[in-house]
Amino acid sequence: MRTLQERLAELWRARELLAQFTRKELKVRYKNSALGFLWSLLSPALMTVVFTVIFGFVFPFEIEDYAAFFLSVYLMWQFFQNSIFGSINSIVGNGDLIRKVWFPREVLPLSHVLAQLIHFLLGLLVIVPYLVVTRGWDLLANLPAVAVGIVLLTIFTAGVAMIFASANVPFRDLQELVNVIFLVWFYATPIVYPAAMVAAKRDDITAVETFGWVLDVNPMTWFVRLFRESFYGTVASIDGSSVRFDSGDPIWSLPEVFGVCAAFAIVTFLVGYRLFNRLALTFAKEV
Amino acid sequence: MVLDQLRSLIRPKDGPVVVVDGLTETFRLYHERPTGLKERLYRFRRSSWTEFDALRDVTLSVDHGESVAIIGPNGSGKSTLLKVLARILEPDRGHVEIHGRVASLLELGAGFHGDLTGRENIYLNGAILGLSKARVRERFQEIVEFAGIDHLLDTPVRTYSSGLYVRLGFAIAVIVEPDILLVDEVLSVGDAAFQRRSLRRMQQFKEEGKTLLIVSHDLDSVVELCDRAVVLDAGRVVFDGPIKEGVDLYRRMSVDPRDRARLAAVPSIGSRVRIEEATLLDGMGRVADEIDPSAPMRIRIRLVANEYLEACSVGATVQDADGVDLYEVHTGWQGVGVGPLVPGQAVVVDVRFVAHLLAGHYAVAPVVTDPGGRQQWASLPMPLEFRVRPGGGATGLVDLQGSTSVTEGPAVPLRGDSTTGPIPIIRLAEDPDAARE
Repeated sequence: MRTLQERLAELWRARELLAQFTRKELKVRYKNSALGFLWSLLSPALMTVVFTVIFGFVFPFEIEDYAAFFLSVYLMWQFFQNSIFGSINSIVGNGDLIRKVWFPREVLPLSHVLAQLIHFLLGLLVIVPYLVVTRGWDLLANLPAVAVGIVLLTIFTAGVAMIFASANVPFRDLQELVNVIFLVWFYATPIVYPAAMVAAKRDDITAVETFGWVLDVNPMTWFVRLFRESFYGTVASIDGSSVRFDSGDPIWSLPEVFGVCAAFAIVTFLVGYRLFNRLALTFAKEV
Repeated sequence: MVLDQLRSLIRPKDGPVVVVDGLTETFRLYHERPTGLKERLYRFRRSSWTEFDALRDVTLSVDHGESVAIIGPNGSGKSTLLKVLARILEPDRGHVEIHGRVASLLELGAGFHGDLTGRENIYLNGAILGLSKARVRERFQEIVEFAGIDHLLDTPVRTYSSGLYVRLGFAIAVIVEPDILLVDEVLSVGDAAFQRRSLRRMQQFKEEGKTLLIVSHDLDSVVELCDRAVVLDAGRVVFDGPIKEGVDLYRRMSVDPRDRARLAAVPSIGSRVRIEEATLLDGMGRVADEIDPSAPMRIRIRLVANEYLEACSVGATVQDADGVDLYEVHTGWQGVGVGPLVPGQAVVVDVRFVAHLLAGHYAVAPVVTDPGGRQQWASLPMPLEFRVRPGGGATGLVDLQGSTSVTEGPAVPLRGDSTTGPIPIIRLAEDPDAARE
């Protein structure tokens, strides 16, 4: 049994392999498509239109710049979700490789996370100017906070990716379930609605109280908060379905958000890494 | 250069670079495999499987610079052993120690991605084998030349022919420059020219003083390339020694089972106890592989206890040429247990019987079991073979020692010649030599 340090050292030595696999992911995806990267912006654009129509006009929240409100966190959600969707099959789908060559197996799910991270960063290059236009120059002051948030989110995502990728070996229908899991997870995360609205009604309705509790223990709630408060603004006042945000408050004033995100990231990564390595012992026999 | 010299000082040139100790590798053969969460939940604990040991208690050590051929019939565990050495499989029991950089050619071109070009795949495959990008770039031209893919470098590899695929895989793998190279059957792919070239490359590798472990069925190449053979059978090491002897043994095991000679020198491996030597003797105590019908025989079995044993039973099974058991006798059934034995203690047991058999080929398998004779503790990889000469004025399998007499009417003595001598009818078709005698 190798120790955590030895494993991490091995992973470090395999960094070149990780880079190659990541490059492969990106290349294979865009090999036969002229529009390439632009395709990956199509989905957030469409989702923004859909949710802006629904919550801007059909069931209106009184939230200014609903599109900006949504986009400030949707890209990071997409990064998280697509990383898991991509990596869940990374062990089972590479059975041939696993049965024939040794290399640190975690490279497979991690390369999907890194490939998605690159999409995410490229996407931000397009989104941030839009957010600056709608929410003002002040939010640029929060970019260092966002950078820290991206690092923490990547660590968290890597942990979840390793859990799903390795658990999919003994439980093959996890692949089927993951769509449902993420659909529920999406709505259990304050992406299309403000978390403050749930918090405001918490004391009045029991169901909402339970839901509020779900939001609290959901790690993604905290990451959403980090990104939304950096990119969109902090809640200034709330009245029914009308929420007013102040933009441009330096997010650094909220150390507890960073603390909770960091704790979730590190714990999830360590748990995921351990589980992955435990199950990896029999990958070559089971895939 | 200086660095390499320093490194060779640090790493001792001799001493084992591969140590395998008591390695057992178990696989599960699922009868009806629950493959999902759903099935798992409602058939919890009901999945059934058979465990089978692909490797059983394998112990061996390989010194620096040795070239070892691992041979054995299909399914004997050769590839599994190589996979454990390559770290692809984790040892289930026992342990494996490896000193030095390992490269494995278990499958050439594993990890090629069809949609990527040859150039991209060279870098990807290099990284899978643990090479840095700089190292691949340095040797890039060499790889391209060896594989002969100059004109196809920027074409997706899915358009490559299978021969080209393998050539490219080999070209990348050999630049790894490991201390220990594991090779599985890759000599047998590709055309003749490629085979010669890859063989030469491995020869060169050996001359550089690297350690080589090869799994191959190509016995001629293996004799040329290796000094030592490890013969596996049903997951156990049945021979470990000079290449010529190992290959000879394997040939006898696989090619012509009837021609197997004495195996007295081949120690068997068992866990509690091992049979170190078994010799077949005739009634006079001479080593015998040919006897007359109904001659007394003795199998002398020398065994050594690996652990403390209260008692065990030692016996032998007599089989016909098809491996059908004809007779089995054990000390235990005769009311004698062998023991108690302390670890390392040796005993010699003689099992005597009269071979009431007629002309043909037979075998005796020595065996050590629990006192009740139910659980086998040790055996030889192959039974000892012997031949019964024609005679006894009869034909068949069992010498019932019949006689005839003409009780009424005339009788005339015949001179025994080949036309009237008994011909073992049943074996005529498959053993013309025996019939002629």
